[in-house]
Order: sequence, then C-alpha cells, then structure tokens
Amino acid sequence: MITFSNVSLIYPNSERTIVESASFSVNEGEFVLLMGHTGAGKSSVLKLINGLVPHHTGGILTGEISVAGRSTRLLKPGELADVVGIVGQNPTNGFVSDIVEDEIAFGLETLGIAPDVMRKRVEEVLDLLALASLRRRQISELSGGEQQRVAIAAALVTNPKVLLLDEPTSALDPIAAEDVLSILHRLVHDLGLTVIVAEHRLERVIQFVDRIILVHGDGTLELGSTTHILQNSPIAPPLVELARTLQLPEIPLSIREFRKIAPHLENAMQAFQPNSVEKDNEKVLTMKKVFASYQDAERTYALSDINLTINAGEIVALMGRNGAGKTTLLKAAVGQAPITSGEIDISGKNPARLNDQELISYVGYVPQEPTDLLYGHSIQEECELSDRDNAVLSGTTLKMYSELMAIPSLKAHPRDISEGQRLGLALSIILSASPKIVILDEPTRGLDYEAKKVLVANLKRIAHQQQRSVFISTHDVELVADVADRVIFLADGEVIADGTTRQVLTASPAFAPQVAKALPHTQWLTVAEVERHIHEVK
Amino acid sequence: MSRFHPLTWWLWAALFCATLLLANSRWISIALVISTMAVAFTQKKSSPWSQTFDWALRFAILAFGIRMMIAVLIGVPMPGKTLFVLPQVTLPDLFVGIRVGGPVTTQRLLSGFDEAILLVALILLFATANSLSNPHSLLRILPKRFYGLGLASVISSSVAPQAARAIVRVRNARRLRGQKSRGLRLWRGIALPVLEDSLERSIDLAASLESRGYGYFPSPTRYRPERWKFNDTMAISGAIYSLLLVIAFANSTLLIPILISFFVLTPVLAS
Repeated sequence: MITFSNVSLIYPNSERTIVESASFSVNEGEFVLLMGHTGAGKSSVLKLINGLVPHHTGGILTGEISVAGRSTRLLKPGELADVVGIVGQNPTNGFVSDIVEDEIAFGLETLGIAPDVMRKRVEEVLDLLALASLRRRQISELSGGEQQRVAIAAALVTNPKVLLLDEPTSALDPIAAEDVLSILHRLVHDLGLTVIVAEHRLERVIQFVDRIILVHGDGTLELGSTTHILQNSPIAPPLVELARTLQLPEIPLSIREFRKIAPHLENAMQAFQPNSVEKDNEKVLTMKKVFASYQDAERTYALSDINLTINAGEIVALMGRNGAGKTTLLKAAVGQAPITSGEIDISGKNPARLNDQELISYVGYVPQEPTDLLYGHSIQEECELSDRDNAVLSGTTLKMYSELMAIPSLKAHPRDISEGQRLGLALSIILSASPKIVILDEPTRGLDYEAKKVLVANLKRIAHQQQRSVFISTHDVELVADVADRVIFLADGEVIADGTTRQVLTASPAFAPQVAKALPHTQWLTVAEVERHIHEVK
Repeated sequence: MSRFHPLTWWLWAALFCATLLLANSRWISIALVISTMAVAFTQKKSSPWSQTFDWALRFAILAFGIRMMIAVLIGVPMPGKTLFVLPQVTLPDLFVGIRVGGPVTTQRLLSGFDEAILLVALILLFATANSLSNPHSLLRILPKRFYGLGLASVISSSVAPQAARAIVRVRNARRLRGQKSRGLRLWRGIALPVLEDSLERSIDLAASLESRGYGYFPSPTRYRPERWKFNDTMAISGAIYSLLLVIAFANSTLLIPILISFFVLTPVLAS
C-alpha cells in the first residue's frame, strides 16, 4: 500500500538528514506504529506519506514514495485526499466548521460527492465512531476524546485507504485513549484500512499494532515486527522493561501475554509489601470547601466542595478524565480561576490576594505550554531575565538549569531546543524564585521516555531534598506511578479519591499502571520497584 | 446558533460602515456605537471567536484616546471659542500651517471628536461581524475559483480571535513568572508567543485544508447548503434602506431613530 524506495529527506536549514535512503513497504490492512525520540522525525515521516512534506512544509526529497500506486513526489496532498486521511497533532487547529456533522461532511464536499451519497457516508461514519448522538453539537464544547473522534471521522469519511495519525492519544485520559485505539483496531480489522500512528505513549498502543517503524534520529528507519523491534529498542514501554528485568524468554505485548508466560511470578512476590513512608509535615496548600462555577453556565460547578491539603516535601498527582476540572483546580490554587466560595491557603496566604511579586515566592506554576513563559532570544538571555524578574543573584537560574539537566547551548533559541529541555528551562525559571509549591499542568505531553525519566528525577529532588511541594496534573499513569507520593482523583469537579499512589492506582483498573496490571497480586507499580526487590532477594 | 447565512453579518457590517462614512454625522456615529455594543453583548455566545469583541472594544478606546490627543495637540488653526491655550512649539518653515500646541478651540475639539467616534464605530462594526460569525464558515461557501482568496481571508479573519485567546493565556502565564518588564519589553514578551501560536494554528489549518483536498477537485458539492433565507434578505434590505436614506437625506438627525431600528432589527431576525 505504501512503498518507500531509497527515500531521503533534508530540510534546508537543518544540519541533519531527517531520513536517509529509507526503503520499506507497508501492506494493506496493517497497523503500524512510528516510534522514536522526540524530534527524531516521526511527524516528518508521517507527513511524507501524504505529501505534506515536502509540498507544504518545504524540504528536499529524493527517492520515490508511492501510496496506492500514486507518487507523492509528483502529486500534492490535495490530490491524494481520496486515498490518504491525516489527523494532526492538534486536531482542533484543523477544524473548519463548528458543528460536528458539517465538519465530517467537509471532506466529501471538497471531493464533490453527490449529496445523497454524502448523507449515507456521513451517517456511516457517525455510527462507526459512535458520534451519532453528538452530530449537531458545537465541536468546541466537546471533550478532548470526542474531538479526536470527530477528527478521525472527518478523515475517514472519504473512504481513504490509508489513515495517518500524529500522537492521537497524547492529550487524552487513559479511558478516552483506549476508546480511540480500539476504534482504530476495529477499522483495521473490519475495513482493511492501513493505519500509521506516531505515538510516545507506547504502553497504550503496543498491543494493537502489527509492526513498528523505529525512527532512529540519525536518518535511518527500521521496520520490523513489534517483538523484534522491542527486543533491542532503547525505547520500551514498562511492560517490556519488566519482561527484560525478569529475563523472560519472550517479549510480551499485552498484559494478557505477560500473564501467560509468567504465571509463577505472582505467588513468589505475593509476600512482598512495599513500605510507604507516611509524612507528617507542614501544610503548604489547603483548600477548604472550594466551589467554582463555569463562566457561562448557571448552576453547574466546575469545582464542587473541594477539600484537600498538600504538605511540604510531598509530590501529589491530580488525575481524572478530560474535563473533570483539573486545570480549574490548579488555576484556583494560583489565584487565577475565580472561586465562588471556600478558602484557599498557601502557607497562610490567600493566593488571589497576593500581588504578582509576592505570589511567585509562594507558588510556581508551569503551564501546559512552557513556551508561554519564555520570551528571551537565547537560553542565556532567558536566564538573565529570570534572575532580574525574580530579584535573585545573577546566574541563579542558569545554575538551577544546569542542576536539572545538561544545558544544550547558551546561545540556542528557547524554541529550537527539545521539548524536555524547554520544560527544564521553564522549571528552573520558576524554581529560581524559590516557591514553596511547584504546580505543573500536564507536563508530559510530547515527552519521550528519556525526557520523562529526567523530569521524574528532578521532581523527586525538588520535593524530597529541597522540601518543597509538587502538585502535578496529568493523564500519564506511568509517570504518576513513578513520581507521586499521593494521588487525588477528580471526577466531575469533585474529589472522589485521595490516598497514597498505591491505594488509588491499584483500585481503579483503567488508571492502573502496566506493572500493577501485569502483577495484580503484588503491590508494585513500577519496574524500578521490581528491580530493587530482585536486587534485595539476591 | 447563528441562523444567518455566513455572509449576512459581514454584508450587514459593510453596509452600515458605508452608511456611517456617507453620513459622517456625530450623532449617527454615537448612536451606532451604542447599538453595536448592545447587539454584540446581547448576541454574545460562548464560542471561541466571540471574545474578539472585548479586545476590539479596548482597541477602539485606545484609538479614540490617541485621536483625541492628536486633536488637542496638533492641527491647523480653527475658529471658535477658545477653551484653553497650550504652549506652542515653533516648527521650521517647512510645516507651514501646522501647529503643535497653541489655543484649543471648541471647533477643533469637536471635529477631532467626530473623526474619533467614527473610527470607533467602524472598528466595533467590524468586530461585531467578526465575533458573531464563525470565520471558518466562509470557507464552505466560497466558490472554487476564489480558493486562494478564501484561504487568505479565513486565515486572516481567524487570527484576531485566536490571538485574543492566546494573549489571555500568555499574560496569565507571565504573571506567574513575576515578569517585571513594562511597556515595549512586556509587549515583545507577549507578542512573540502569541504570534507564534497564531502562525502555527494558521499553518495547521492550511495543512488540514490541503490534505482534505480543498480547492483541488472540480465541483464541490454541499452537504447542508447554507441557504439564503427570508431573514437574511430582511436584514440586508434594512441595511441597504438605511444607506439609501442617508444618501437621500444626507445628514439629518431625524434619521437616527430609523437607522437604529433597522440596526437592532438584525439581531431580532437572527434569533
């Protein structure tokens, strides 16, 4: 269906080749994962398939790519619209209409499909993606998972042979992600669609895919069966790492496969009870009976009767489905979301009453898009500005940054560095004001496993050594298992669970990390814990 | 929600802009400023692009202030009652007839005010159209031969609402960085990420249109045609009638009640 023969790609201003003489082919009805580090070129490879690269973005392409017998070198993306559908990283940016049904029909309209055929197709796709009940709704009112489904429906409606998706689950909670992926799985099986997905969260997709294209980052691409690639790949989901740690003969791709090949493990480890340390420290953040309402609706609450405390030296994760009120809660904690009643207190102060200068020494907030914080032309300038803004000794921010990670280059523009490095920069700017609590809103979107490990180590240092509190909202179950001491679970604006990470994560099947699912009778959450135990036993 | 054809609000705004310019009357301008605000705020929806109006209002106030300041400071000598006298700057002979400072007369102030309020009315009219209709809906109705034009107009008309949202987001984030910069530096700091954000969205939109074949296939069809309805005709004829009245009777304050009733008739038709 898709054939790359001797394909090379380079961007005019880039020093490195994105793809170098790659040759492979993907068959009809295959589900293929594009895997690689951030910035390795996954998106570029994806866009090569429908011709957006190089026709839309620029770049020099040699070699031949053919999709369903058509050459993308000669044809523009628009001329491939009837065979390839693509769903971008931020589907909301690509929406043309405001109503679900109109958005789905748009692709058919441009292709000039007759109205009666169009009605039928739209109806089919609405049913296929379980969107029929949302057909007349405003797209902007839908949840992230629903918007993602609309984007997929809009791409599928023209009956393409190939569907390309760029990080379809990175913004979604585990349940919505599961929905989207199982729909893709069904499309592959029922319609013989060829699906290619670029994704960081391997633990979510691995069990569905047939083959993997590993983008090494030095220009080479490697296509192989899932088990073959995962056997040697530097990037692997927790389940595979667990199998490696336990030295299992095979690489399991799903929890079920793992349980089949490692049944004896459960009993051997059953006796082990990891000890959790209870801390009784100074309270940093307290919320008492906090209510907040949506701006436009009358009687529904975005937050309803929230009571919580966060202590010094503690990492607390805030979880919940898309739209549960996580961001509102975080914003209320820094005094940016108006609350209708209740008390919020950070070390004795009400954040809404503090001025900006006082606020930053109490609470540091890293927004979903770290770039919102940055405005310097180079890392050096950014750090100097931060020293000045926070009124600290010159060089403080830079020192903070170098403690977090290896600094790329002082002259590099903050927009040109990797996502993990950018998050590190934003974090060090926030930390240089030495706040009592650091709040991070969904920090792992777009981070690969390496970058996440660095983040985990840093957050632990900030909390456990420097005795600050860390409050982090995320969908990333594996991150929570790695880093959090406590989890607060939010549903529909209410706290429905508040307990140690172990208690909360093991109680809910959808939000359990892979290790807990694989070894359900033990109390382990992460591969690191299992590793430590094995060491101790030896 | 908007029951109008996507073009109606735009046509309506354009016609009233023409009416304003032709009438060039202080009272008509003031009346329209008030009614635009009434229309925009009563029709306001929760849609992402509806926040544009708030920003346009701030911009209009700024424009008004600047125009009035110029009216007070710079200008040709004008007759009328002198209100107060500013110290006059002597300019080289090159600028004959232009004065900086000097006596400020009622005449000068009023002519400055007339132009300023006209400017405000025009900005708000454009903003109303922009905030009440989804910019993207224009894309669907433009014929194929206007493909380039459609794409350009959609991208440019969606930049304002997107930028409005991005400004709020970035400013909030900035506050939490304790940014001390003021004035130009502060705006440079906000403008950069906002522009980048808008650009990225526009590029994503263009890529989405491109990969869905927009403009490539000979004859696009319509799923649910945007029909030009009776209400659209009514709204537009009201606007045209207002324009004709102004042309016929030039500048009469008696026209104001009629103009306003045609003006506010439109949102009634839309709901």
